[in-house]
Amino acid sequence: MASTSGSLRRYLLTRLALVVPMVFILLTMVFVLLRVAPGNPIVAALGGHLSPSQLAARERAAGYDKPLVVQYGEYLRQVFTGHFGTTLTDQRPVTQVIAQNGAATLELTVAAMLVALAVGIPLGMLAGRLRDTWVDAGARGFGIVIYAAPVFFLGLLAQLVFGTYLGWLPTSSQASVLVQATLQPHTNILLLDAMIDGQWGDIPNLLAHLVMPAVTLGLVISGVVVRLVRVNVIQAMKGDYIEAARARGLRERDVVVRHAFKNALVPIVTVTGLQAALLLSGAVLTEETFNWPGIGNELIYYLENRDYIAVQGIITVFALAVVAISLLIDFINAWVDPRVRY
Amino acid sequence: MTTGAVVQEQRDEPGLAAGPRALGPGRARGVRHLVAPLLSARGLPRWLLWTGLALTSLFVVLAVFAPLVSPYGFNQYMAHGARFPQQAGPSAAHWFGTTVQSEDVLSRVIYGARTSIEVVVLAVCFSLVIGVPLGLVSGYFGGWVDRGLVLVNDSVFAFPYLLLAIVIAFLLQGSVGGGVVTAAIAITVVYVPQYFRVVRSTVLSVREEPYVEAARALGARPRTVIRRYVFANVVQSVPVVASLNAADAILTLAGLSFLGIGMDPSAAAEWGYDVSRGIADAQAGYWWTGLFPGLAIILLVTGLTLVGEGLNDSLNPVLRRPAHRRPLLPAPEVPGAGAGSLAHEGLTSAGPGLSLPDAGLALQGGAGAVGLEQAGPGQVDGRGAASPVIAVSGLRAWYGTERGPVRAVDGVSFQVAEGETLGLVGESGCGKSTLGRALLGLLPEGTSCDGEIRFGGRDLLAASAAEMRAMRGPALGLIFQEPMTRLDPLMRVSEHFAEALKAHEPDISEQEVRERSLEALGSVGIPPTRFTNYPHEFSGGMRQRVMIALALVLRPRFIVADEPTTALDVLVEAQILELLSQLRARTGAGLLLITHNLGIVAESCDRVAVMYGGRIVEQGPVRDVFAHPQHPYTEALLGSTISLSTRTLRSIPGAPPDLHQPPPGCRFHPRCPLAMEVCRALSPPLVSRQGHSVECWARTPPGTVPPGQDARLLIESGSVADEA
Repeated sequence: MASTSGSLRRYLLTRLALVVPMVFILLTMVFVLLRVAPGNPIVAALGGHLSPSQLAARERAAGYDKPLVVQYGEYLRQVFTGHFGTTLTDQRPVTQVIAQNGAATLELTVAAMLVALAVGIPLGMLAGRLRDTWVDAGARGFGIVIYAAPVFFLGLLAQLVFGTYLGWLPTSSQASVLVQATLQPHTNILLLDAMIDGQWGDIPNLLAHLVMPAVTLGLVISGVVVRLVRVNVIQAMKGDYIEAARARGLRERDVVVRHAFKNALVPIVTVTGLQAALLLSGAVLTEETFNWPGIGNELIYYLENRDYIAVQGIITVFALAVVAISLLIDFINAWVDPRVRY
Repeated sequence: MTTGAVVQEQRDEPGLAAGPRALGPGRARGVRHLVAPLLSARGLPRWLLWTGLALTSLFVVLAVFAPLVSPYGFNQYMAHGARFPQQAGPSAAHWFGTTVQSEDVLSRVIYGARTSIEVVVLAVCFSLVIGVPLGLVSGYFGGWVDRGLVLVNDSVFAFPYLLLAIVIAFLLQGSVGGGVVTAAIAITVVYVPQYFRVVRSTVLSVREEPYVEAARALGARPRTVIRRYVFANVVQSVPVVASLNAADAILTLAGLSFLGIGMDPSAAAEWGYDVSRGIADAQAGYWWTGLFPGLAIILLVTGLTLVGEGLNDSLNPVLRRPAHRRPLLPAPEVPGAGAGSLAHEGLTSAGPGLSLPDAGLALQGGAGAVGLEQAGPGQVDGRGAASPVIAVSGLRAWYGTERGPVRAVDGVSFQVAEGETLGLVGESGCGKSTLGRALLGLLPEGTSCDGEIRFGGRDLLAASAAEMRAMRGPALGLIFQEPMTRLDPLMRVSEHFAEALKAHEPDISEQEVRERSLEALGSVGIPPTRFTNYPHEFSGGMRQRVMIALALVLRPRFIVADEPTTALDVLVEAQILELLSQLRARTGAGLLLITHNLGIVAESCDRVAVMYGGRIVEQGPVRDVFAHPQHPYTEALLGSTISLSTRTLRSIPGAPPDLHQPPPGCRFHPRCPLAMEVCRALSPPLVSRQGHSVECWARTPPGTVPPGQDARLLIESGSVADEA
């Protein structure tokens, strides 16, 4: 109906407007963290390595001697114009780091999220439906233990089993050197690039590299998904409309699948969005474990090399990614749940 | 991380929506609440809790006594003048093997526990000290303070926690140096928002509690209110969050150390750091250096999570497991033959089931079914020989609970004829709704049922679950009390209809689905244009119409309407009742109208049954019952309603009986002005006269009450109910 789409548009616009303060708060947070907090990054990075006069020169060059308000303005200008400068260590434009390594992170996180949902949703539904049976106990146990496992430790076990002993899967990097060399960067997402150029022969190699990191990270996140889906199903099964559906003589299977599961999945969208923080944090560790050339891996590299320009750019991009994800989630919610857009 | 997830769970559940249920001031005292779940938890939560505590304490003990327990120091690579072997596998000398630097892996694991526990205790304390006051202030004062704090907190919360911790730890490491405090501060910043959220939402929910509002209305100062009421509730929700946060903090610490940030490896052993070194080893086949520290992380985090989950399970009413055990039903009580000797003295001469022939009066024992069939409504209510659609006799439905069975329906008999409306009235909690559900086979798990429900020539209680399902809809309909939540919010009205029709008539065409649905909707006054709307697009009254149409589209022969207008305003109520009576007249379905409103009964019912404490104490034609109530309870009910001619409004002293342990004899005797000695000892027999029946000793014919049992009891209002 016309009015429905009208209210949907209004909802989306309102939601977009709410993004503005969040972006500012996150950017301010990053700024405060890197510039205002005790021990500015230049001292943190180079203190002890350089003489005080050299440090002062560095600070001047980076604009750190200007008043904070001016620095803040310059930082915001950088963000909105997309000029993050070039890295100190290897003279790469920060935007290039973001585009290339960010694409690898995107590929990993999307694949991991798919694994997490594919494992977590059915398991959580089973557990919620068969509550207090051994299936439930098993699923809950899986959820708790898998979540308790650090992603890098699972990665280590996977490498031991599938890499070292069985030799089935490569234990590091995103593609074999040969494949990497032959692919043309269009999107920087290697799987897509291979498809765009029709290099189908490279895809098995790319997938083989992707499987272990994605499954490892996905499993850890599935622990959270299992628990949430289970609780939601239990909750939904208590819904008034469930009893009403039974009173109309629907088959129990239809009641569960059509009413309980469907309603249980609506909050999952939101919750999946909230797992973005977990996903991105896990990605940093996974990238480090599997030497996956993602943005988290780069962040650690630049941190170790005390390249604060690169660090600032990468952290800013993470902040913007968080906002984008929360926006996306709300849009999906509006599409799934008719009540939201009303 | 998890805690984030759990916080979200809490937000999505009404029970924990804003932290655990608010406690009244009287119950909210001291540390007892922290310990209570340990002792009160049952079943799985108890098991979770104790396993978690065992695992956690194991590591705490290792941490505290590390120097005593550990065979060597965490970075010791030689003893007794001899260097340990390098990268040696597990052996008697080194249970967990040695590292590339010849360190003993077991010792590193034990000292790693010490590091983890130190950091986590510090981080949790810091977070509590900062997060709880912020949450209290934000939740209590609201306004701009609240909005600002929430925005900042949400932003921090949304940010990938590990990145935040990495940057903070990195900066601190540069200025202060790496170590336990640096790691703890980095982790604290990450987790403060979670305490803030939980505490704030608890405060918000407590603020709305009547006793807090009352305290504020009485002029208690904000600080006093926070301290006395809010804090007590917060104390209950914080342990859950704290234990889950501790679990996350260990993972974060391990993550930081894995990346080589925060902890200085020469200062302390750290599991995550060891796993990172173990990865290189693993690729060379030295599996033990990374495996044991990794397992230690999993065990400790699992332990802490179990504690949190166990606490959450036993505190959260939504997750609390319902009692599933079905109560065993004893042989039905024989009215008039309660306790021992009295029965012999008094009633054996008359005997159960005896009919006294004078003036059509029947005195019945047993379940009362025989008598009712003899003098059923068909013969006496002036409707001629209308056959009963449904005939219930001796129906009992008992719930199993922790405190023992609840005798919600306890020996009930009635019939509803075709096209007839039977009103079922009674106070809340007298078993009305349970009775309605029992007729459709919709009782929750853990309910036992017996007696007989004759419908369409068969006993519904003997029908299988599948048979009952097939009958619900086309044969038996149910209209609910609360129309707002009875439609699936994600489904269009049209989909509800299609689903219901296809469930019972799989071969029905789309065309016919549409025609029949629109016809049913039309009959309740909903225009076809609303057919594809979602439930939220309807008002309450409209939704109840949709619910009625949804029940009617399957053309049931018998409908239970459970307080169908309670949630609606008076005008809409009148419309819905009018609608129900029209539809009943048109379709000839029998209707059981459950209500607590005697006005509705007078308006729209043919007969009325009055329920008290799980039994029907009086039933008969509405006019007859209202004009000449026989049971003192009915009389009291009628006396407690307001009409234009009301001069004095009377209330019924005492409270409805506790159905766990209903009073012996007549259930109403503790509140009854006519109570006699016999009422306390024996269930009254059913006395019928011209289709108007009553269960009351005071209405039995002379000579029925055993001699010496007819002395009046003195009933003091108020205190009597407690005596029972």
